[in-house]
Amino acid sequence: MIRTATPQIELRNLHRVFDQTHAVNNVSFEVYAGEVVGYIGPNGAGKTTSMRILATLDEPTAGDAYVDGFSVVEDPDRVRRRLGFMPDYFGTYQNVNVYEYLDFFARSYGLKGRERISAIGEVMEFTQLRALAEKPINGLSKGMKQRLCLGRTMIHNPSVLVLDEPAAGLDPRARIELREMISKLADAGKAILVSSHILTELAEMCDRVAIIEQGRLLAVGSVAEISAGVQVQSTVHVRVLEGAERLQNWLAARDGVSELRTDGTLAVFDYAGDRAAEASLLRAMVESGLPVIEFGAKHKSLEDVFLHVTEGRVQ
Amino acid sequence: MNGDAASTTEVLSVADDASFDADVVLEPIGPAAKSRAAVVWERIEPILVYAGDWLNPILVKETRQALKSFQFTTTFALVLAACWIVTIGGLALIGPSIFYSASGGTLLAWYYAILAFPLIVVVPYSAFRSLTAEREDNTYDLLSITSLRPRQIISGKLGSSIVQMAVYFSAVTPCLAFTYLLRGVDLPTIAVLTVYTFFGSLGLSMAGILLATLSEQRFAQVFVSVALVAGLLWICFWSVFGGYQVIQFSYAFMGGEEFWTTTLALTTAYVTTFTLMFFAAAGTITFSTENRSTPLRLCMLVQQAAWIGWMAFAWIYNGYELGFIFALAAFAAVYWYVMGALLTSERVGMSQRVKRRLPQSFFGRAFLSWLNPGPASGYMFTIANGTSIVLISLLGIAMSQLLASGTPGSLSADELFCLLIVGWGYVVAYLGVGMMAIRLLRRFAVVNTFAAVLIHFLVILAGSGIPTTIQMMSVDLRYEDYSLLQIPNPFWSLTHLVDGGVASEGAILVLVIPAAALCILLLNLRSVVRELQAVRIAPPKRVLQDEAELHPPPAALPQNPWDEPE
Ligand SMILES: Nc1ncnc2c1ncn2[C@@H]1O[C@H](COP(=O)(O)OP(=O)(O)OP(=O)(O)O)[C@@H](O)[C@H]1O
Ligand SMILES: [Mg+2]
Repeated sequence: MIRTATPQIELRNLHRVFDQTHAVNNVSFEVYAGEVVGYIGPNGAGKTTSMRILATLDEPTAGDAYVDGFSVVEDPDRVRRRLGFMPDYFGTYQNVNVYEYLDFFARSYGLKGRERISAIGEVMEFTQLRALAEKPINGLSKGMKQRLCLGRTMIHNPSVLVLDEPAAGLDPRARIELREMISKLADAGKAILVSSHILTELAEMCDRVAIIEQGRLLAVGSVAEISAGVQVQSTVHVRVLEGAERLQNWLAARDGVSELRTDGTLAVFDYAGDRAAEASLLRAMVESGLPVIEFGAKHKSLEDVFLHVTEGRVQ
Repeated sequence: MNGDAASTTEVLSVADDASFDADVVLEPIGPAAKSRAAVVWERIEPILVYAGDWLNPILVKETRQALKSFQFTTTFALVLAACWIVTIGGLALIGPSIFYSASGGTLLAWYYAILAFPLIVVVPYSAFRSLTAEREDNTYDLLSITSLRPRQIISGKLGSSIVQMAVYFSAVTPCLAFTYLLRGVDLPTIAVLTVYTFFGSLGLSMAGILLATLSEQRFAQVFVSVALVAGLLWICFWSVFGGYQVIQFSYAFMGGEEFWTTTLALTTAYVTTFTLMFFAAAGTITFSTENRSTPLRLCMLVQQAAWIGWMAFAWIYNGYELGFIFALAAFAAVYWYVMGALLTSERVGMSQRVKRRLPQSFFGRAFLSWLNPGPASGYMFTIANGTSIVLISLLGIAMSQLLASGTPGSLSADELFCLLIVGWGYVVAYLGVGMMAIRLLRRFAVVNTFAAVLIHFLVILAGSGIPTTIQMMSVDLRYEDYSLLQIPNPFWSLTHLVDGGVASEGAILVLVIPAAALCILLLNLRSVVRELQAVRIAPPKRVLQDEAELHPPPAALPQNPWDEPE
């Protein structure tokens, strides 16, 4: 990935305190152009709060956030021109159809004349809403609303997109399409911060993830980097032809093996070590005469990393 | 592309229209005719697109919505139906005498009543609702992060109010014209009624929008909306009543010199108040680091100047009577106390953004610093204005002494002098004490502007309520007219002075109150100095860079005829 000199999004020691909750507590990270960063955390972790601050809808109690180098506190007007924010709710107007809705926001972002018409056309093309242009937005299905919402977010061609749970309520097919749209937008050089609870989704489209819990940032980096950092084990399963008890004893005596469970000739356990360590484990097993007929190792997914890093506390 | 599809249909419709034009009809409807229409369209389309761009986006959207909305069409139909019923009913009642009696007035009163309801109640309330509904439907957030400036949002909402008004007017206008034909009313009366109602409705819509920006919480919205409807209905009742009076007695006052002077004075008051409300509403929905105070302070200055001007006019016109100086100062005292309470409730600390534009030169810092946002500068701004009112009034008193002929009014120059000094002292002292109370509370809790204004009012309520209660409960003082216990009570003290107490307690009050005011001013001086110490800072590099991109400096022009342009 190419990193430009200045990050497109930068959170710098961001704090937001509500009456009793410290919703965002000293959070700092960056998002660069062309990058998709996933923002994950349990309910109430502070994702929406920090995204609203980025979108200039809320103000930090301390610290600052920057979009394309502009402070969201001091220069929100300049930030707004560069940023598209998709909230986790959909704002509807009565008696407005899809085309008029997009047209309104295009005008509100100062697009004029043919520029506006072509921007609306492009967005409807991208989100495949052309066929619904005349449909009143109140009658749209959840998935269609979500598309329209994304369309509105990108109508002024912002260089930074902040998407709060864009995949919520979408069917599997729509999710895949959304993922493709987001990847396309990133390929077009936009910096994208996207929050979601659907971790498998995020793992596939994000270059990096930021994990937040109780307002504190726990980890930032690619999934591989984070799992290396937190010493996540892989889950290994071994099946022998015979001698289940021997296998069990052998494994129990090894370093790095934990959570050993057996089921007949099958043993499943967590193993702390990289690929090479797994290979030497298998070699040692065979050399010690165990009749291994199956050996598999499953590496930790984003979900496992997430569960490992966060503790499930709510505030 | 949809845009293209839309324009294609429009091309076709233009072609249809053109073929019915007298000079086109004879031509064969073929490629030639079409291309001609297309040529015309090609010329028109950019103009339409340009005109559409020039319109406020909110106006465009809300007009589109209104045309499709059930509520709007039904109200319109109801107004139309009511007009018809009145017309038919009226004609039936009047009967054949219609040919010789002058019954226009009665009918006009009825039509006016029909028009007043949508204009005075429905339109302002919809303006209020259209902004609060944006908050409820979560569209306000989306709207507020677009490139629309807060002033555009407010003027867009006002624009849709005007469109609605225009529609209601268009329903009633034929009826108004009809009353003229019936005799009994003249055109100026009809014109005055409609113009006053139009601007009344616009002003009330502005007030509705301002209230909507101020009531962010759900609870406040419900409360304000009930109060607003009640207020609007009350105003509607009185304007129908007033309209009836105007129709009946217009011959007596219309067109005279006084009528026009009053209208002009009302216009001044209307325009300045409207502007103040506009900037207040825009300021409320602007992000907090922006300078929201300076435009409001400028509006106040203009409003004060207009007030002084009109009162000076009335004073001269009425033979330099002191009563006008009293009116000038009395209104100004209330005005500046209320505005001062608002200004001293501003948040402390200047944002970096405001600091980028602070006045820099010596004179700029000396005279314009009072326009900078901040409670202490707001305090000094209020005091400066109050003092200027006192000085102008003193000048007025002196001139009255020299020029006034005739009988003196109820107030003597001494009494007025006394009132001016004491009144000034009360405003300065109470604003200062309130400001100190707010500063103290802000150490322990978050005090927003609304709460701060409330603190001001609580302070003055305590200052006047406590001595009153004590005196009322005291056996000795209960039946006294006034006692020195009431020194902190501005209401009782000032009324006492007006009622002729100058001879007895005037001297004490004139000494004590201004002295107390000066002490309080001195106590607040430290925060004033702290605010004055703020100096301009350079904008960040990124902002300068963006500014250069947005507004590139003009290309260098050739310095002499031999220079080659690049
Ligand atoms: N306006 C508010 N007033 C008071 N507390 C708030 C407000 N908004 C958020 N909070 C609190 O701040 C914390 C963070 O909330 P936030 O909405 O940012 O979480 P989130 O990570 O988006 O959660 P979710 O995954 O459920 O959307 C929560 O404890 C919430 O109760
Ligand atoms: Mg959330």
